[in-house]
Amino acid sequence: MLKKEQNDYLCQTGPGTPMGNFFRCYWQPALLSEELPEPDCPPVRVKLLGERLLAFRDSEGKLGLIDEFCAHRGVSLWFGRNEDCGLRCPYHGWKYDVTGQCTEVPSEPTESGYAKKIKLKSYPLIEQGGVLWTYMGPPEKQPPLPQYEFSTVPLNQTFMTKRIQECNWLQAMEGGIDSSHVSFLHRGDLHNDPLFKGAGGNKYNMQDLSPVFEVVESDGGLLIGARRNAEDDQYYWRITPWVMPNYTGVPPRGDHPMHGHFWVPIDDENCWAWSYDYHPTRALTDGEVAAMKDGKGVHVKYVPGTYRPLANKDNDYLMDRAGQKAGRTFSGVEGIGIQDASLQESMGPICDRTKENLVGTDNGIIMARHRLLRAARAFNDKGVQPPGVNPEHHTVRQAALLLKRDVQYKDGAKEALKAKKGVRQTSV
Amino acid sequence: MQSESAKMTTAHEAGFRVQYPNSKQRAAKVIALDPASAAIVEEISKKSWNGAAFFTSLAFTAEGNPGAVGGDLKAWLKDLAGRTMDLVAEVEHSDFVVVITTTGADARAVSVIADACALFNKSLVGLIVPGQDDSDAATTESMKYLRPYTRMLVIASGTDYIEAMLTALRA
Repeated sequence: MLKKEQNDYLCQTGPGTPMGNFFRCYWQPALLSEELPEPDCPPVRVKLLGERLLAFRDSEGKLGLIDEFCAHRGVSLWFGRNEDCGLRCPYHGWKYDVTGQCTEVPSEPTESGYAKKIKLKSYPLIEQGGVLWTYMGPPEKQPPLPQYEFSTVPLNQTFMTKRIQECNWLQAMEGGIDSSHVSFLHRGDLHNDPLFKGAGGNKYNMQDLSPVFEVVESDGGLLIGARRNAEDDQYYWRITPWVMPNYTGVPPRGDHPMHGHFWVPIDDENCWAWSYDYHPTRALTDGEVAAMKDGKGVHVKYVPGTYRPLANKDNDYLMDRAGQKAGRTFSGVEGIGIQDASLQESMGPICDRTKENLVGTDNGIIMARHRLLRAARAFNDKGVQPPGVNPEHHTVRQAALLLKRDVQYKDGAKEALKAKKGVRQTSV
Repeated sequence: MQSESAKMTTAHEAGFRVQYPNSKQRAAKVIALDPASAAIVEEISKKSWNGAAFFTSLAFTAEGNPGAVGGDLKAWLKDLAGRTMDLVAEVEHSDFVVVITTTGADARAVSVIADACALFNKSLVGLIVPGQDDSDAATTESMKYLRPYTRMLVIASGTDYIEAMLTALRA
C-alpha cells in the first residue's frame, strides 16, 4: 500500500516533477537502431517522459533528438524533409540540424542572423547495442554511457525488441521484480517455450512450487533471490537484479540467452517495455533469433508495421477461455509479455496503490518503492546522485545457481552476479 | 466496436471502481529478537499503526525462564510496556508475524517463534537491519538464524525500511 501522494510522486515523470527530474539523471533507451536505419531516412516521432520529440539521422549519419514542433508556427516536423544535413519544415522551409539549431529561415536574409537565434530543445542520442539511447537531464550532469552487458556485447550476440504498454511505467516495472507471480501466470511456458525449455534448473521449479524469497540491497538497486530446495544440502537460487530506476533482469535458464527489460515512461499512462536477449559468449543461433522474432520468450508478435502487440486491449488480448480451462495457459492469454501486459493494463492507466493489500512475499516491490522514494527525494532535495547512474552499477548480471544452504547469496554468487567480458553466465 | 478491455482500462472507468474497503484490519505481531532491535522497535511502536502489536523476545534469553526455549512452545514475549505475554497466544491471534534482528546479534529466539507460527500456519517475515557490527560476516550470521524459518527475508541497509514495510503491509 502506498499513500496517494507517494503514488503520485513515483508515477508522474513529466518535466518538472520530482520523479521526472530523477529519471532525467539516467540514459534511457529511446529507439531501436532499426527505426533510423540510414542517413536521411524518415524521422520518427518519439514521446518520452511526457515530452514530444522527433528523432532523425542526418545526411552524415549523425543522430538528433529534438523538439517535435517547428519554432515558427508549431507544426510537427515529422512532416519535414530530411535532407542536406538537416530537417526542413515543409510549411515555410525552416531548417534544423541534429542539435535543434535552426540553420535556415528562408524568408529572412541570411546575413540577418535570424536563424542563429532559433534553437529547438534537443537531447543527445547515441547508438549502442542496437539501441539509440538518450539522456534528458542537464548537459553538465550527463553521466558516462550505459554499460549494460546486453548493449556492449557484439551485435550478433544480442537481440532487442520493444512494445508499447498502455499503463504507467511503475506497475509494469514492478512485474519485473515480482518473482512470486511466475509460478502462476507463466506456468506452462517453462516447458513449451523454445527459449526456456530443456534447462537443467527447470526441474527445481517443478519439484518445489513454493519458493522462498530473500531481498538484498545492491549498490545500484536490489537483488531479489528466489530459492527452492535442491539436493545435497543446497538451494537452487534464481536471482533477479533491479537497477534503478527501471532496469530488470530475468535469471537465466541453462545456456539459453539471458533476458530482461527496461520500462521507460512515455507519459504517465503509457510506457515502453523493452525486452532484450543476449548471450555473453556466443552468437545467438538462427533458431533463437527466429523464435524471438516470432514473439517467443519475453518478446511479442506485433500489429504489422507497429510496435503494438498483436494481442492488445482492443482485441481483449485474444483471450482464450477454452485454453485457460484446459490449462494450456493459466490466464487464457498467450505469451509471457502479453500475460504480464494484459494484467498490468487491467489495473488502469495508473494503478491505485492505496487499495492494495500486499503480503510478505511482496517485499521486493515494497523495497523497490522505498528505495525509489528515498533516492528521488535525496536527489531532488539535496542533489545526491542516485544509484544506477554510475555505469559500474549496470554491470550486474542475473544468475541461477546452486549454493549450500547456509551461504548468503550476495556472497556465494558474487562472481556470478558480475558481468565479465568473455565469461559465460552462471546458470543451471 | 470498442472491446471491453479497451473500454474498461481508461482513467474515466477507473473512477467507477468500488469505493468500499476491500480488507479488514489485520493483526501484525512485530517481534524484536535482540536488544538493539528492541530499541528500534520501541521507537517505531510510538507511531500510529493499524493494529500492529510490538514485542521483544528478550524474555527468552535475558531473563532466563519463564517457560523458556525448551521446545514446548511455552515461551513468553514482552510487550513494550514490560508485560509478559504468551507467545503462542499472540501468534495464534495474528495474521502474520515479523521478526527483526540487527546484524551480528544473537537471534536464536526466532526458532521458537517459528515453531509457534508453524503450529498455526502463520506467515513469518524476517528483517535484518544494520547493527553495531554490520560486516558481511555479521550479516551472514544473522541470516543463518533467520533463513531456515522465514518465507521472506529482507536484508535492509537502514532501519527506516521497517516503518516503510509495516506501512506497506497495513500493519
